[in-house]
Amino acid sequence: MNQEMKNLCKWVINNTEKNGANQCKASIVTTRDVNIRYREEKPEIIKEATTQGLSLEVYVDGKYSAQNTPDLRKKSLGNFIIKAIGNTRYLEEDSYRYLPDAKYYEGRSEIDLQIMDPVYQEFSAEQRHGLVRDIEKACIEKGGNKLISAQAEISDRFTEIYTLSNNGFEGEASGTRFGAEVSVTIQDEGDRKPEGFIYVSSRMLDDFPDPEKIADLVTRDAYQQLGSKKIKTEKLQVIIQNRNTARILSGLLSAMNGQNLQQKSSFLLDKKDQIIGNKQFMLIDNPLIIRGLGSRLFDSDGFPCKQRTMIDEGILREYYINWYYSRKLDCEPTTGGSSNLIIPPGNRSVEEIMKDLGRGILITGIIGGNSNSTTGDFSLGIFGQLFDHGNIIQPVAEMNIADNHLLFWNKLTEIANDPWKFSSWQLPSLVFKDIVVSGA
Amino acid sequence: MKPLTRRKFISRTASAGGVLLIPPYLSGCLSSQNNMGKSGYFETEFGIHEKLCRKLLETALSKGGNFADLYFEHTISGVLVLEDGKVNQSYGNINLGVGIRTVKDDQVGYGFTQVLTEESMLSAARTAASLVNASAVPPEDQFITPEIGDYYPVSTYFNEFPVSSKLPIMQDINEKCFALSELVRKVTVVFQDEMKRIMVVTSDGVKAEDLIPGNFCYTSVIAEKEGKMESGGWEFGGHRDFSWYDPDLVEKLSHESVQRTLIKFDAIQPPAGEMPVVLGSGITGVLLHEAIGHGMEADFNRKNISVYSTMIGKKVAEPFVTIIDDGTIPNLSGSINVDDEGTPGKKTILVEDGILTGYLHDKISARYYNVEPTGNGRRQSYEYMPFPRMRNTFMMPGEATPDDVIKQVKNGIYVQDVSNGEVFIGQGDFSFYVSQGYRIENGKFTAPIKDINIMGNGPKMLENITMAANDLSMYQGGAGFCGKENQGVKVSFGLPTCLVKSMTVGGTGQKGGVS
Repeated sequence: MNQEMKNLCKWVINNTEKNGANQCKASIVTTRDVNIRYREEKPEIIKEATTQGLSLEVYVDGKYSAQNTPDLRKKSLGNFIIKAIGNTRYLEEDSYRYLPDAKYYEGRSEIDLQIMDPVYQEFSAEQRHGLVRDIEKACIEKGGNKLISAQAEISDRFTEIYTLSNNGFEGEASGTRFGAEVSVTIQDEGDRKPEGFIYVSSRMLDDFPDPEKIADLVTRDAYQQLGSKKIKTEKLQVIIQNRNTARILSGLLSAMNGQNLQQKSSFLLDKKDQIIGNKQFMLIDNPLIIRGLGSRLFDSDGFPCKQRTMIDEGILREYYINWYYSRKLDCEPTTGGSSNLIIPPGNRSVEEIMKDLGRGILITGIIGGNSNSTTGDFSLGIFGQLFDHGNIIQPVAEMNIADNHLLFWNKLTEIANDPWKFSSWQLPSLVFKDIVVSGA
Repeated sequence: MKPLTRRKFISRTASAGGVLLIPPYLSGCLSSQNNMGKSGYFETEFGIHEKLCRKLLETALSKGGNFADLYFEHTISGVLVLEDGKVNQSYGNINLGVGIRTVKDDQVGYGFTQVLTEESMLSAARTAASLVNASAVPPEDQFITPEIGDYYPVSTYFNEFPVSSKLPIMQDINEKCFALSELVRKVTVVFQDEMKRIMVVTSDGVKAEDLIPGNFCYTSVIAEKEGKMESGGWEFGGHRDFSWYDPDLVEKLSHESVQRTLIKFDAIQPPAGEMPVVLGSGITGVLLHEAIGHGMEADFNRKNISVYSTMIGKKVAEPFVTIIDDGTIPNLSGSINVDDEGTPGKKTILVEDGILTGYLHDKISARYYNVEPTGNGRRQSYEYMPFPRMRNTFMMPGEATPDDVIKQVKNGIYVQDVSNGEVFIGQGDFSFYVSQGYRIENGKFTAPIKDINIMGNGPKMLENITMAANDLSMYQGGAGFCGKENQGVKVSFGLPTCLVKSMTVGGTGQKGGVS
């Protein structure tokens, strides 16, 4: 962040104090985004923009509000601050709402997380077009004679953030992210047109997957769905493929959130240090991974980040509790949300595991559904491959799995060796037993 | 206060438009809030005059293209939150900027900026122009303002009410929820409102402005019975006048929120598998939205990736089935006076008497299919380009009564409240989450159900609608967003009570759920 923006942030803090705020925190964020999409071997969308914004938290006589504006001209900001403070005064007092004690800001790591790619500034329009063209071309080549449409879009983002509070917090970060969203549609029998879809991202261009690999995965996804049909409802073993485990895990995580705990809408309330899953189940939150997509040195409260074992051998060890809800819950804060999430991988590949499993379903896609954070009940649409001792019997679709998180994670029987690296949640494929799979 | 219609409003402010006393652009966002209701807003507040618009469009078409457009937006939004008995959180946001688009056949160049200076906007226009490499194309000489509807008339704009006037409504809801049941443990009330001023200027000679009020009030309830917790909630909203949130609505919102929570204590999970499903009237229209509506958005069909790509003119449902997407229903969340490409809001028939008659078009697909745009070119904000999007999607009512429909089912479920729908366009497979409903046995409700998913295939489901009742109602909420192309737009939907003869129900079949 340039000095001019930092000075502006200081000016905002000073003016917010002068206008009557007891405490305040301001962040300025600037981003540059470029998106290029190719379809039918030509650019379909080219999009580019630079954005900026100020977030301001004000604490006035025990009252709190947070406001955002993209207009960073001082005259506008002056009005913005006055209005923000004025509106805050209308609210009711909240004795839990104040900035953290400055001692909580201490101890920030000084390691270089390498989340800013030095080659970003030289990443040219020609290189961008070349990359997305290569991905689309690989998809067309691998799409075969059933291909209807291949679409590839790459995006890159450069973000800078500078945060300052009037009680001693100062932090800044900058990072890059490269992403690709690719889909392939093929012709099935009748009017059915299965689509393969993939999203990958990385901090560094060097870590970005090869176009051939992306095309392999997305075309395989599409072809695996040819001839899909539902089977009869039965209790089966299931393998949830690595790219889909996040959808299941997110339901568990929402119940670990401080707000849900304080509001009594968490099925994990009072479950700390209790068994909630199979002994194999480990969940680690590590914000300090080099080049990690969720890596950071400080969290949204300004607390220094550190590795946390959230679930240890099936035992719930920590919640995600930010400063505000820690006051309401009368406990020490941890951190407000997840960073890089790791489930340590096992030793065997999905293929090896399938051979030993007997009859089961490899879930390769999840569609819709929800998880109730109060009760733990969840229900999700699925599609995938019915297999028996490693042999694919048929693709399945229009099916569903339903369970409760407090039972489900105890049914975890094995963890594969294939963590998905192109996301901040680096999760491997997971194997579960005795799952009701609904169909015909 | 006497209601002011949109037409009168434009007429009055248009006559005042010649008196430009406010210095352009430097007037500051918040100070200009009270002027947002006036036409010519972007000219008076930000100096965006027609000559500048033409220059921007010329730049956007400087390397060729079929057309270009400018989308100016200034949105001021706020959220108030009541938690633990106090309205003690307020969040505000300002969106200000312009998106500039150049279109060549099905190719789009897009740039946007938050800084409404000529220099910055020209830079965004050059980004949009970079898509093509041909000879410059001039925009039209004149900009014509189209006749547009008045589908969200309000007497006083929501943002003109101070924060203090909204607090009593929220506190009243909180008190009423606790008073309704001693099982209630927590109540959260969220009151969101926004005022969005847009101006669309196109190279084919359209200049359209709109002022869009949006708001909703959502209440969630946590209750406890014999050591077991349940949660539920309800919301009302749309493009509403502040006066809509009157004591009757407060009463209704409180009642719905509490009842929809308490009934879950008695809920079971139905058996899993295929069975007849009765979709209740109203919010279950989300199923139409997911299962059918998305597949009829013309961009998917233009690319031949929708399951409906080859079905125009074909029978897709029983003759009593007529499905409409309508942007002209007063005050509903998906209503639009004008879409985000400058096309006036319209009513579009998708399925008529069981025959698929048309798609939902933006300007790009309308050119491709050589039809008129249907007013479905919508976007989340100036940061996004428009795509064909639904507005208020519903199925026309039948002649049976709801009871007649329910009586047809020997063993199935009734869906009352749904959320979280998703569809795979090419396969037509969809899913939606039933947060509340009833088990039907021998034509009667036997137990409440909750937290199950329903799976199906859009075209198959459409074929399988065998009965419709006479009780069409529309979703009256304001928090319903539809996601597509990584952007969300507000929508509504509706359905009469319908019988679908077979769908996959994803329950576990264990009494009391599995928790």
